[in-house]
Amino acid sequence: MPSVRTVIAVLAAGALALTGACAPANQGAPPQGTSPQATPSAAASYSPPKISVGTAEDSRGPAIAPDGVVKGGTVTMIDRDDFSHLDPAQIYVNTEANFALLLHRGLTGYKRVAKGEYKLVGDLATDAGTASDGGRTWTFTLKDGVKWQDGTPITSADVKWTIERMFAPFITQGPTYIQQWLTQEDHRAAYEGPYGGKELDAIETPDDKTVVFRFKAPHADANYAFAMAGYNIVPKAKDTKEQYDKQPVSSGPYIIKSHVVDKSYQLERNPQWDAATDPIRGAYPDVWKLEFGQEALQITDRLVADAVADQQAFTFYALTPPERLQQVLSDQSLAPRRMISPSPYGNYYYFNLDRVKDIKIRQAVNHAWPGRQIQQIMGGPQAAALPTTILNENTTIGYESYDLFGKAAKPDGDIEKAKQLLAESSDPTPTIVYAYNQTPVQERVTVAIKNALEKAGITVVTKPMDRKTYYDSIGLVDNAFDLYWGGWGADWASGSTVLPVIFGPVADGAPNYSHLNDPALKAEMKKIAEMPDFDEQNAAWMRLDRKIQETITPLVVAENRIATMLHGSKVGGAEIDPQQWIVSPNTIFVKP
Amino acid sequence: MLRFAVRRTIATAITLVTISAVTFFLFFALPSDPALLACGKVCPPELLALVRRNLGLDQPVMAQFVAWLAGIFAGRDYPGLGYCPAPCLGYSFVNRAPVFETIMDRLPVTLSLTIGAAVIFLTFGVATGILAALRQGRPLDKVASVASLVGASVQIYFVGTLALYFLVYQGKLLPSPSYVPLTENPLGWATGLLLPWVVLAIIFTANYTRMTRSTMVENLSEDYVRTARAKGMPARTVILRFALRGTLIPIVTIFGVDLGTLIGGAIITETTFGLQGIGRLSVRAVTYSDLPTLMATVLVAAGAIVVMNAVVDALYAVIDPRVRLT
Amino acid sequence: MFLHVNDLTVDFATEDGVVHAVDELSFEVERGSTLGVVGESGSGKSVTSLAVLGLHDPRTSTISGSVLFEGKELLGAPRTAMERLRGDRIAMIFQDPLTSLSPYHTVGAQIAEVYRRHRGTSRSAAWERAIQMLDRVGIPQPKARAEDYPHQFSGGMRQRATIAMALVCDPGLLIADEPTTALDVTVQAQILDLLRELQEQSGTAIILITHDLGVVATAAHDVLVMYAGRAVERGTVREVLHEPRHPYTWGLLGSMPTLRRPVTEELRPVRGAPPSLLNVPKGCPFHPRCDFVELPGPRVCTGERPELSPPRGHGDACYLTMKQKREVAP
Repeated sequence: MPSVRTVIAVLAAGALALTGACAPANQGAPPQGTSPQATPSAAASYSPPKISVGTAEDSRGPAIAPDGVVKGGTVTMIDRDDFSHLDPAQIYVNTEANFALLLHRGLTGYKRVAKGEYKLVGDLATDAGTASDGGRTWTFTLKDGVKWQDGTPITSADVKWTIERMFAPFITQGPTYIQQWLTQEDHRAAYEGPYGGKELDAIETPDDKTVVFRFKAPHADANYAFAMAGYNIVPKAKDTKEQYDKQPVSSGPYIIKSHVVDKSYQLERNPQWDAATDPIRGAYPDVWKLEFGQEALQITDRLVADAVADQQAFTFYALTPPERLQQVLSDQSLAPRRMISPSPYGNYYYFNLDRVKDIKIRQAVNHAWPGRQIQQIMGGPQAAALPTTILNENTTIGYESYDLFGKAAKPDGDIEKAKQLLAESSDPTPTIVYAYNQTPVQERVTVAIKNALEKAGITVVTKPMDRKTYYDSIGLVDNAFDLYWGGWGADWASGSTVLPVIFGPVADGAPNYSHLNDPALKAEMKKIAEMPDFDEQNAAWMRLDRKIQETITPLVVAENRIATMLHGSKVGGAEIDPQQWIVSPNTIFVKP
Repeated sequence: MLRFAVRRTIATAITLVTISAVTFFLFFALPSDPALLACGKVCPPELLALVRRNLGLDQPVMAQFVAWLAGIFAGRDYPGLGYCPAPCLGYSFVNRAPVFETIMDRLPVTLSLTIGAAVIFLTFGVATGILAALRQGRPLDKVASVASLVGASVQIYFVGTLALYFLVYQGKLLPSPSYVPLTENPLGWATGLLLPWVVLAIIFTANYTRMTRSTMVENLSEDYVRTARAKGMPARTVILRFALRGTLIPIVTIFGVDLGTLIGGAIITETTFGLQGIGRLSVRAVTYSDLPTLMATVLVAAGAIVVMNAVVDALYAVIDPRVRLT
Repeated sequence: MFLHVNDLTVDFATEDGVVHAVDELSFEVERGSTLGVVGESGSGKSVTSLAVLGLHDPRTSTISGSVLFEGKELLGAPRTAMERLRGDRIAMIFQDPLTSLSPYHTVGAQIAEVYRRHRGTSRSAAWERAIQMLDRVGIPQPKARAEDYPHQFSGGMRQRATIAMALVCDPGLLIADEPTTALDVTVQAQILDLLRELQEQSGTAIILITHDLGVVATAAHDVLVMYAGRAVERGTVREVLHEPRHPYTWGLLGSMPTLRRPVTEELRPVRGAPPSLLNVPKGCPFHPRCDFVELPGPRVCTGERPELSPPRGHGDACYLTMKQKREVAP
């Protein structure tokens, strides 16, 4: 899962570059002349992905082919930005994780079983791992016939090395879950990495095929953690440290034929990759051409036009920009080439609990919230959904919806209810200082919020912030704002990578923007995280989600953007991965 | 001439170092922190400090600048990344590639775009300017005046987007703009850049038409032009050898400025047409707080302008023997 | 007759109206002789010379009458024919040699190109001819100086160069428009001497346009006095300067210092200012400035326009009788 913050920071900054590009989780500019009822809400017919753990049988290759699949040909991917990292240990952002599917393999991964249905299976491992000792110990066995691009077999030593090298100081970007679980919170202090010759004893390799991880505490979802692209495997014998980021060794279906920074890639087949070992990657095209430097608007126009040269093209991540959204959604001839998926991120208007101390006021704001107006400003129901829970339906196994503040029933807000709560509160006419990222859309959203809250009797003071410094400003614990927007993405489909983070340590720059610091809650989150049964754990997270909103109300759940993308008419199997919010390369094929 | 070359070279070096220094120090005054972008999802202060060290941002700004400057002449050793040979413009913060290589990859795109467009707008601009001057007040002159006014007031992103929409996406008359190296496929090079050239030319031609027309009108009433006619020189010769000669000075002046600016990066054009040139690179560098790349693009832009200025000054002396180079 | 200009009329259409720059002007120039054309600025001298060469812009000017040169009518001749004639059979030199030479080309090149244009010789032959011409007009080290640009020449040298340029094809007629005005006095004399010398060698006819009667006195054989686009007096230098008949000529002579006049005598400039050519006074155009307008009788000078009479020899355009002229002449 990508870091929402990084993605947002990158994209928000990118918006400077003359485009209308918006952070995916942030409110996009609405298309001109939006008509709310033009097409049925994309969200209405949408159902979140079903994700479960697969068996050893599921973990065998080859991947399940999409309908009408054709092997061979050249597919072209067009996007704006090149990938900053190829070293798996530096990969966190969804675009890079997605690209990594073509080059790298890990212990586990997500196998597409059917549309909207995924199984966590063994990738290099024969299955999705075996937990023992109540979830403290995880054992993986590597498949036979899995090889590096030079033909040498992938061994358990490579797996161990991969995790060990993630402690080295030059690794700064990737995930840190496994490292922390194996050692301690400040994992770098516990171990300096393998380059000095020291090994990490918590990882054992009893033989070439078996690797055993011994965590300090139970982690029932460790097999999901290993599915992160950051934990893809690096060959011990071919590790070039910092330079590995430029020239990685492939374990996946393709190798890099050429790469011009920020401009292009060409990938060709890796002859050492065996489809029979890989349940995840279809790897249907013979050649991948990646082109960078195109803005979302141009990409959309090119894909709409579907010229001969672009028919075998698609984009990983160029969302249809607001100015073309209406056209793309209303043109029926584009329907077969259209992909739609709501964001998997959690988006919130955080209350600063140090300043807005009365829960009645926080709940009143929730009731008065003008969800539908904001949705309209963002482009209508096709462009934004109105979630009601902290956890996102796309990234929560065992998701259960609830609607504490009547947002689904009364999407325009319930001013009377808000007034009533305010009357019961310590201050019936409170003042809320609302800080926002100063973009044209946010300006309009802010007006909607201000109008709605003022109807309920809340005075709203608005504080526009420069987009480059927005996160730094709201990230200060000692900030002078009451309410502000922030986002967070789950790293796998469980509350364990959301709730303990957004309600984690309170510090400058930490993602706990509401400064919720409740020892009882902390203890409960720790307890849930260490539950040995993954399904029970997920059910507990979902209950906790509701309980937090009921008893604390630290935030207003924000509107959730819906992505629309197109692909060329000769591209088959293109689908937005609902967890990664990006077009997956696994099922892509080109029609002759 | 030698004196001029030496003086100009020294002045150029001083200008470039000054501009580099200003850019460098301004960069650190910006609110954005490149280390933050290269830091993980949760970025505790220890990790941020680590990233800073990795990017060399933990050194004092002055020391960083000196190291950067020295790298251009002497090359530079990057721990873990390897030796960056002179002229080393550093490694990009974002993709850890040597900036010099990236610049060398992008420069042909921008040069192709610039030179192709320049040939068109210079030829057309000067030609229509001459014709308008010769037909003062007649229909052709009026058409040229209106056209140049329209051309001067439209914007690339407007004309470019329209042209893309009607000629490429809807009309399918032209291929999507793209860059193919001239050495690889001259025809592909020309067809891929045709639309950007024409659009860029539409905007620039206007300026040259107006400038040529007004100076040409002035020059046509010069005494030496009358002398040339009195000598019985044919009209063509009078216009091209005599009247145009005096018109060249202001044309060369704006042409130098335009060329320098365009080489520094036709940001909007490159963005509109998705061409990966210096302009796009500079926008990306700013967006991602990529200091080494930013410095390189600033150097290219400043260098282009300074060099074009020197070329223009040298051309003054070629065009007008009364100008002495010092 | 070598050059015969008859009833030449040049009008310019301007935003303010029609400028009658030259009005029914007639004169003749003989081979080997020099005609001095004098008058204040705006009297139509330069316009006349440009009309002879066909250098007026046909879109802004209307020209009628006749210009016969070596028996051929020049008015209305095809553009290319005029281009071939200019610089070859008729050449012209202008007042300011600095601005009338191209600053962008070497002096040698500017001379050589005329020769090449009209004689069709090789580049090197034309260059040799240019050096020869520079030598002929008295430029020292002509070989080296041919390579120089006009700004590297002194004022007098430049005018010598323009003369070289004008005479390079041995023209039958040279029109010199104020050739000495921009030069200092000693250089003036040298240039006039040079012109005379060259005329003696080649028999070129010269139209010498000047506002300076002193120049006319030293360099011309015949004189044409112009006022407001018309000829007001015509005759030999001797006739016009020694027995001037027209009050305007008197005024011109009176406003000029001469060595013959005692220095104590006051200079008497012509009173008033030349008329606007947009609105030339009715009758004798000079009458508003004339001291003797009452003498011919009531409203004579403001009635019909006086013709140049007698039609040949020393003639003037004035209603004063010879007797009156003798009485009132200064």
